[in-house]
Amino acid sequence: MSTVGIIANPASGKDIRRLVTHASVFDNHEKAHILQRALLALDAVGVEQVLFMPDYYGLVERALDGLNLSLEAAELHMDMHADERDSTEAARRFCESDVGCIVTLGGDGTNRAVAKGCNDIPIVAISTGTNNVFPCMLESTVAGLAAGLVAREMVDVERVTYTAKQLEVYVDGQLAEIALIDVVASNELFIGSRALWDPRRLREIVLARAEPSSIGMSSIGGCLHVVGRQDPQGMYIRLGQGNTSVLAPVGPGLIIPVGIQSHRLLSLGEQVALEPAACTIAVDGERQIEVFSEQQVSVRLTNHGPRVVDVQQCMREASQCGVLSMPVGRET
Amino acid sequence: MATRTLTFSGAINEAMRLEMRRDPTVILMGEDVAGGATLPHMEGEGKEAWGGVLGVTKDLVTEFGRDRVLDTPISESSFIGAAVGAASTGLRPIAELMFVDFFGVCFDQVFNQGAKLRYMFGGKAQVPMVIRTMIGGGFRAAAQHSQSLYSIFTHIPGIKSVVPSTPYDAKGLLSAAIQDNDPVIFFEHKVLYGMEGEVPEDNYVIPLGVADVKREGNDLTIVTLGRMVHFSLEAAEKLTGDGVEVEVVDLRSLSPLDEETILASVRKTHRLIVVDEANPRCSIATDIVALAAGQAFDYLDAPPTMVTAPHAPVPFSPVLEDAYLPSVDTIVATVQSLL
Amino acid sequence: MAEINKEKLLWAYERMKLIRTFEDRVAGLFAEGKLPGFVHLYAGEEAIGVGVISHLTDKDYITSTHRGHGHCIAKGVDVSPMMAELYGKATGACKGKGGSMHIADVDKGMLGANGIVGAGGPLACGSGLMAKTLGTDQVTVCFFGDGAAEQGTMHEAMNLASIWKLPVVFVCENNGYAETTPWGYHCAAKDISDRAVAYDMPGATVDGTDFFAVYEAAEVAIERARKGEGPSLIECRGFRYYGHFEGDAMLYFTEEEKARNRARDPIESFKKRVLERGLLSEEEIAGIDAKTAKMVEEAVEFAEESPWPVPEDVLTTDVYVSYP
Repeated sequence: MSTVGIIANPASGKDIRRLVTHASVFDNHEKAHILQRALLALDAVGVEQVLFMPDYYGLVERALDGLNLSLEAAELHMDMHADERDSTEAARRFCESDVGCIVTLGGDGTNRAVAKGCNDIPIVAISTGTNNVFPCMLESTVAGLAAGLVAREMVDVERVTYTAKQLEVYVDGQLAEIALIDVVASNELFIGSRALWDPRRLREIVLARAEPSSIGMSSIGGCLHVVGRQDPQGMYIRLGQGNTSVLAPVGPGLIIPVGIQSHRLLSLGEQVALEPAACTIAVDGERQIEVFSEQQVSVRLTNHGPRVVDVQQCMREASQCGVLSMPVGRET
Repeated sequence: MATRTLTFSGAINEAMRLEMRRDPTVILMGEDVAGGATLPHMEGEGKEAWGGVLGVTKDLVTEFGRDRVLDTPISESSFIGAAVGAASTGLRPIAELMFVDFFGVCFDQVFNQGAKLRYMFGGKAQVPMVIRTMIGGGFRAAAQHSQSLYSIFTHIPGIKSVVPSTPYDAKGLLSAAIQDNDPVIFFEHKVLYGMEGEVPEDNYVIPLGVADVKREGNDLTIVTLGRMVHFSLEAAEKLTGDGVEVEVVDLRSLSPLDEETILASVRKTHRLIVVDEANPRCSIATDIVALAAGQAFDYLDAPPTMVTAPHAPVPFSPVLEDAYLPSVDTIVATVQSLL
Repeated sequence: MAEINKEKLLWAYERMKLIRTFEDRVAGLFAEGKLPGFVHLYAGEEAIGVGVISHLTDKDYITSTHRGHGHCIAKGVDVSPMMAELYGKATGACKGKGGSMHIADVDKGMLGANGIVGAGGPLACGSGLMAKTLGTDQVTVCFFGDGAAEQGTMHEAMNLASIWKLPVVFVCENNGYAETTPWGYHCAAKDISDRAVAYDMPGATVDGTDFFAVYEAAEVAIERARKGEGPSLIECRGFRYYGHFEGDAMLYFTEEEKARNRARDPIESFKKRVLERGLLSEEEIAGIDAKTAKMVEEAVEFAEESPWPVPEDVLTTDVYVSYP
């Protein structure tokens, strides 16, 4: 049976960055519509089953309401915490249920939580967060088609997916967190509202991707040197007064000069130790760990991240294989 | 009819239960009338968080389910307006508006919509709805939870207003209100909820617009309503010792008003006091004094008089609230001053 | 994300602790039958009121709710006249006329607790309009609950504040229940901050049990308002320890939910973190604990010993400024 898993996060796109930058509120009603289009696409390419994570809004349930689909949809039976633990747990459950592809709705943070549990199930990541590098701004109809094609193995899955890089955060030698895009040490002492927006409060950045066309921390690195999603490199940046300043879009509508003390490329497998200090560590844009001065934090760049569907490549492949074209008169 | 002792709130509950059994178009809605809507542990028989803020709608959800006993958001304009809309199109809704003070946020739906639809539509609509609401002081609930605002609604043509004073009356009047084809506002005094009285088990109605002489007497007429009926009866008992026999007329409904019963009593006793817990200006008390002055002037041996709250909001402090509300002693003294 | 100085941390802990101590004491006094009427307690929501009011001065205004004791204390209203008001004594903050649901102190910018759900929104627009018209830099914060979010008055107020670009910050204290009715049932959008889109203002959701999260969000929103950039909506997700009012059996809470709430106590979490960071010392915390306990005990004593109001003197005063 071909099965697609859906992890949609109602909380994405509503943090404090609506106040400190010019980010939009991403409302639940809109997210349900995005899911409707994805579900219609999954149904159209013959996916038989959809499993989905429960959430406090009931995004998938509301999306299903009024749709007349052939596929079966079932909510995972799991305890809800209404935080990122749900996304990780849902991804774990998908591994036990022979899910062929996972569609995520959220930002970098949501996908990071999914990556912790999804093993090698390919992900189609639709952006509904704020400073997103990992998920793409995609029309969900197309994203749904791609996810369906992958789940049904109608395209060569190897050719249309890639393995993402990942940053592992170690505190005193123990793996404490992962990140898909960036790890940042900030002078903030508390997790607080989680978001980061003031570069003057940031000390060090470790990037898995440095892309000038992205937004957020990755763009700071991207202004110095381009490190793409599949390049076997990463970047370490020490912020502060130095010889260089870059003009980076650190948040939506927030394009400000950022002082660079130094930067260097990292190679796969390399582990970089952060300077000891009381700070908070943010992963993929959200403060997540409160660190004390006596603790040692290091970050390792790996290629052990999740498998990601390149939607454009997938649709090109589908076109080339002719899986979406059929002779007239023989439709089933 | 077999009777048994029931509380005032129990009688109201029973009227709703019997009417809901009798007529499937009767529904009940309001804030926390069951409570805990959609919570998994609140599903199933007997599962409700409150059954109304003071428990008046208790257990109705058990019998009628959440399709007929609807918890609402704190959105008085919308659910009171929805009751008007539902009533004009085929349901017979009972809407519980927790405190009469909260009418402030939904007044348009009551007096521009519910009250006027029938008239404005040339008689081609009817609005058979009941709004149940709490009135009165005595709970130390302060200025925004203690008012007795029935006079405002009595002022508005198109609305009927009912103020019961005993469990027996409450049940019969509420059944009549639910069966009535006009919008009725049913004012329940919160201090009376615990009061017990004999109530028949079966369904019965007390027609709206009929006052009840709660005590007969020849020396003076007290016209009163709600909790003040009991204060007035107590005052009347005290005065018996002085050889004074006071007649106590319980209005029960303010609109329609039973003018005949009031006037007959005044013509018999030649003296009138209106005892009303509400503020004195433009009130049911001034209305009844005007009625007596206009239509029983020749019979009066003393100026028609009012015992009311002062022209001030209801205070919080117990000593202030007790001084604010009409008391048995004030009623006794006022009666004595008129003889 | 300005750094919080030590003075502010000490103030914040003192206010949160004072609210908790006050409310716990009020619960006890109510159970003993010493307090007339009904009381709605703020315990559990301290981080919201204190986190937001951290950024206000006495000149700024707040509008409050029926659950208003915490807002009063955070805004600097003295707990002795507050307690006396709960007793209905002549020395009360409102001379015994208002009671728990109507405590106010206009000199402190506290425009009153309120017995009517959702009534504060339009009032906040009014004080915002004053500041805008007179060209002051005063900000008004409108606290309202998730229940009030469904009142027409709140929708109208947020729209009005937006079209007039008023210096008002709308802070929704989402404690999960409108009386007994869960937010998941009464709110179609589920995230109240989503509605900011419709009012054309920024909106965000933060953890209302985390003082620092509330503090950061309020700082930015209040700063925006002060600079004339218009209103914002902040939804703070939290919980209340007590029922809707005292006497509520709280059947709508499960034991698991109560335990979950206890595990994220806003004051304990604040204390743990400032101690870990060495920002405050155990001695300083103990000092505040003792001080707030004393303040509340003195407030109770003050209230108990205060005289009752004299009806002949005050029953019909304060209705009008003049009334011949």
